[in-house]
Amino acid sequence: MSQQERVQEELEALEAILMDDISITYNAKGCAELVKSVIFPSTANEVDKQYVCVTLEVELPQDYPDCKPVTRLKSPRGLDESTVDHLYKEIANKCEEYIGHAVIYELIELIRQNLTESNLPTCQCAVCLYGFSEGDSFTKTQCFHYFHNYCLAKHVTVNEKNFLEEQDKLPAWKRSTVGFQATCPVCREPISCDGTKLKTSLPPKELQDAQKFEVTQELKMLQQKMQQLFNYQKSKGGIIDIEAEENKLLLITNSEDNNSEDPGPSLSSSNPPVEQQPLHNGLQNRNHNQRHYSKYSNR
Amino acid sequence: MAVLPRRIIKETQRLMQEPVPGISAVPDDSNARYFHVIVTGPEDSPFEGGLFKLELFLPEDYPMSAPKVRFITKIYHPNIDRLGRICLDILKDKWSPALQIRTVLLSIQALLSAPNPDDPLANDVAELWKVNEIEAIRNAKEWTRRYAMDN
Repeated sequence: MSQQERVQEELEALEAILMDDISITYNAKGCAELVKSVIFPSTANEVDKQYVCVTLEVELPQDYPDCKPVTRLKSPRGLDESTVDHLYKEIANKCEEYIGHAVIYELIELIRQNLTESNLPTCQCAVCLYGFSEGDSFTKTQCFHYFHNYCLAKHVTVNEKNFLEEQDKLPAWKRSTVGFQATCPVCREPISCDGTKLKTSLPPKELQDAQKFEVTQELKMLQQKMQQLFNYQKSKGGIIDIEAEENKLLLITNSEDNNSEDPGPSLSSSNPPVEQQPLHNGLQNRNHNQRHYSKYSNR
Repeated sequence: MAVLPRRIIKETQRLMQEPVPGISAVPDDSNARYFHVIVTGPEDSPFEGGLFKLELFLPEDYPMSAPKVRFITKIYHPNIDRLGRICLDILKDKWSPALQIRTVLLSIQALLSAPNPDDPLANDVAELWKVNEIEAIRNAKEWTRRYAMDN
């Protein structure tokens, strides 16, 4: 049997077993180049209990199966990096072992087995950045992203509130007719969720046990470096002086009795403005800036 | 001050342990919600070689609402106004709690590589950027050299 026939036989068998769960790309000469399959843990037919998944891509070199195929794991969902690394190692071993034989189905089974064993998301909740512990109630979205119910509830509540506020500002004819649609914080896909169930969930465990914040020596050093750069740029006129910039605009609108040499907000104002105020120390400067924020945060 | 949320602590630790290349963000001594930030100008942009100071403040309901970010160092850019305010959708209506300090700062760095004069905040800069891009880029380089250097 020729090499191509062996590959063809393997792929036909795969298609017979996996049906729609596999896709095969052929090159111009009609040889199979790439096999792709999304792999889920085996949970009988309970699709909503599949908390993890990954896409396996197998590239078939000309000499396959007499040489190893090139494998890639794409779009891992619910899996952290170390789990993916571990999978890669097992895949490499399996490919080594099966040189000269059909290996794709073996790889799919190997990955499925691994996913079934660790069918609890090992990634972090994208909202609180902490992991999932035994007993935490969490949601897997249709788009395969994971959140503690507690965290997702907060997101949905705020989003709904913002949505309603925006709607209130619109004239009646412009308002949405479909109402509020919750979206995934990670990919913005629409998601369906049970708001009341979410809101009664307890905070995640790891979050409660997390350590406290401390100012380290390293941090102090970085703070100093920042301050040095600030001082240097300030001496070169490179720091934005908010009050001066605002006053510039004021002078223009009421400039009848004030024909001083203020340059106005023109492009040529690339000369550093003269420092009129004593140098702020870091803290004063900061308070100033925060005040500035509250002033503009409603824009 | 109220207890600092765990997420902010975690982000701070990660920023220290695995810093993003070209970006540093350090919390203030007396207010851990206030960050001193330096973003380096991206390669092959008119801001290359510049060190831009920004300030970033995490509001009370962060991460449910976006951080407030502002340039402190002067910068010549169509989407950043003379007060250092930044026009970027993820800082406004496109905010999501899955974004973090590091992703926000990366987006700002990306904005330096890809100015968008069609959605301007600094009108005069955007205008020049559209009618005479060569001169606008020359101005941006000049401002970078003049204001955003380290000694």
